[in-house]
Amino acid sequence: MRLADVQLTAAGRVVVARLTGELDLSNTANIGGALAENVPNSALAVILDLTDIEYLDSAGISLIYELREKLRARGQSLRLVIPSGSPANDALRLAGVSGHVVTAETVQAALAELS
Amino acid sequence: MATGGEKHGFRRHRPRAGQTVLSPVAVSLAPSEQIRSLAWLSDPALSELGLEEFLDELLVRVRDVLAVDTVAILLYDPETDQLVARAAKGIEEEVERGVRVPVGQGFAGRIAAERVAIFIEDVDHADILNPILRDKGIHSLLGVPLIVEGDLIGVLHVGSLTARMFDERDLAMLQAAAARAAPGIERARLVSAFEREHRVAMVLQRSLLPKRLVELTGVAAAARYLPATDEVGGDWYDIFELPRGRLGVAIGDVVGHGVRAAALMGQLRTALHAYAAEGHGPARTLELVDRFVQAMPEPAMATAAYGVLNTDTGLLTVASAGHPPPLVVRRDGVDVVDVRPAPPLGAIPYGSCTEVEVIVGPGEMVILYTDGLVERPAVPLSDSIDLLRGIVGGGHSAEEICRVAFDQLIPEGGPRDDVAIVAVENAEIPAELHMRLAADPRVLADTRRVLRRWLRAGGAGDQDTVEITLAVSEACTNAIEHAYSPAPAHLQLHASMVDGQARFVVSDAGSWRMPRGTNRGRGLKIIEAAMDEVAVDTAPSGTQIVMTRRLGR
Repeated sequence: MRLADVQLTAAGRVVVARLTGELDLSNTANIGGALAENVPNSALAVILDLTDIEYLDSAGISLIYELREKLRARGQSLRLVIPSGSPANDALRLAGVSGHVVTAETVQAALAELS
Repeated sequence: MATGGEKHGFRRHRPRAGQTVLSPVAVSLAPSEQIRSLAWLSDPALSELGLEEFLDELLVRVRDVLAVDTVAILLYDPETDQLVARAAKGIEEEVERGVRVPVGQGFAGRIAAERVAIFIEDVDHADILNPILRDKGIHSLLGVPLIVEGDLIGVLHVGSLTARMFDERDLAMLQAAAARAAPGIERARLVSAFEREHRVAMVLQRSLLPKRLVELTGVAAAARYLPATDEVGGDWYDIFELPRGRLGVAIGDVVGHGVRAAALMGQLRTALHAYAAEGHGPARTLELVDRFVQAMPEPAMATAAYGVLNTDTGLLTVASAGHPPPLVVRRDGVDVVDVRPAPPLGAIPYGSCTEVEVIVGPGEMVILYTDGLVERPAVPLSDSIDLLRGIVGGGHSAEEICRVAFDQLIPEGGPRDDVAIVAVENAEIPAELHMRLAADPRVLADTRRVLRRWLRAGGAGDQDTVEITLAVSEACTNAIEHAYSPAPAHLQLHASMVDGQARFVVSDAGSWRMPRGTNRGRGLKIIEAAMDEVAVDTAPSGTQIVMTRRLGR
């Protein structure tokens, strides 16, 4: 049983990356690598959808920051979908970084912000 | 290049890339040692053995008599016109990898095509197709055809790791062994088509069942399967992990017997597992498998039951397609799960399935089985199920239940129908947790599941469970990251609950490093935010982090 999975879909020149499962030290490096590699250079932005993530901790938060840096180096921006009350949101809150990251409640809202 | 020929008494027919073709030689060996060796090869006791033992024994004797490093038998498969490695000593990989050589090509292929003995002095300079011979460092080879009443049935060859000039006596002895082996092999190959099909179905059936049951902390699973005595059917079972600490348990019974039923069983098992992994619930999963069966080119039918056990809560959701009802073994009795069975898979177009939910509490077990376990001539199914309830009622573990059910319900001489049973036990939750964990990030997910289960049992609410699990996982992550490498290291997790206050100790033999950089700093922040009190104790023997939190704070 794989702990997490990544599903990429394109919405115009925006890539929506939906993560499911649990993110921890055991899989963040692989997931982060898969995300960075599979986003085409032609994409303008990536929406990282963490709605269905069941567990995320400091390793997952680092993944978000590192992905943001990698994308920025390629001139691409990152939007996060982290609904309030979700496990990902709990981790951001406890780590005290909620105030530093902009998140959207839904993929639709994130797409609307980008257009 | 083989220079072999004349001085060894071989007559060379025609040269070809490193191979020397040899004329058969008459066995006319005087030395008593050789005679003994040959007599040994034709020991009548060999006739008493089954094919496997016979080949095994024969190869060992050939190897010893000829003092060679390897011996192999390849059998001729007329359907593909290939030789298939069937038995070997010294190069067992040949058989394990199912080496196939086209007749007419390479060393063995040419022996078969031309029905001649061939000697190769130096493998490096010869036309050898089988890479294993080269990989194993075989230097010299000698091979003879296996012939019965004029028909080629295979090739017997020996090999030496050092350069060796096989001589006339070696050839005579190998020919004697071939003459001894060929009729025995042929006899064993003339098993009836029925027996062969039975064997194929059995192998197929075995290969399609799980090799190893899922290992998930907090549950214990056991299973048994026995094919029918005279005809293999299509029973199967499966246990697999699903996301969020859930466990899928399936069992099924394909209508029909033999290879086709066994093959269909494999397809249904795979289809069910795949639909379940997609996240469908038990009823929808069975409906999808039904549509899959309906779409098959040939009519097929099967019964199946599928359940999902949430190991955190003990909630079992189960559905059935024409299958006997699951049982739940409780402390004070055995319940029949009241699930209304849908029609069997493939029976009715667009059959609809319902599911029921039951709790399988800590220390309780769910049992799925096929009708072969309970069906008795002239006995109503409900009576048979009551009999099974009585038998499993006293069971204390999944393993014990499977054992007693088989011991008491399988008739003398084996079952008339396939029989399968699978039992899953929702293990007891201890008052205190003591876990010794390998310092490997892969243990984290399982540790969190055990922790969540323990927390819920101790009265923790959702918020408590989420936040405490995060903090403890962070503490374990930190210990893993700082474990001494490369030696295998461990850490300990101890959890206890006193008067609504949960206390956790994560200790390791490494030295605590103050988190560096923003990354690890976040881990410690999470721990501090999620817990009421956090203390880090660094001693030369190791580091301990003690965390407490009052539930419902």
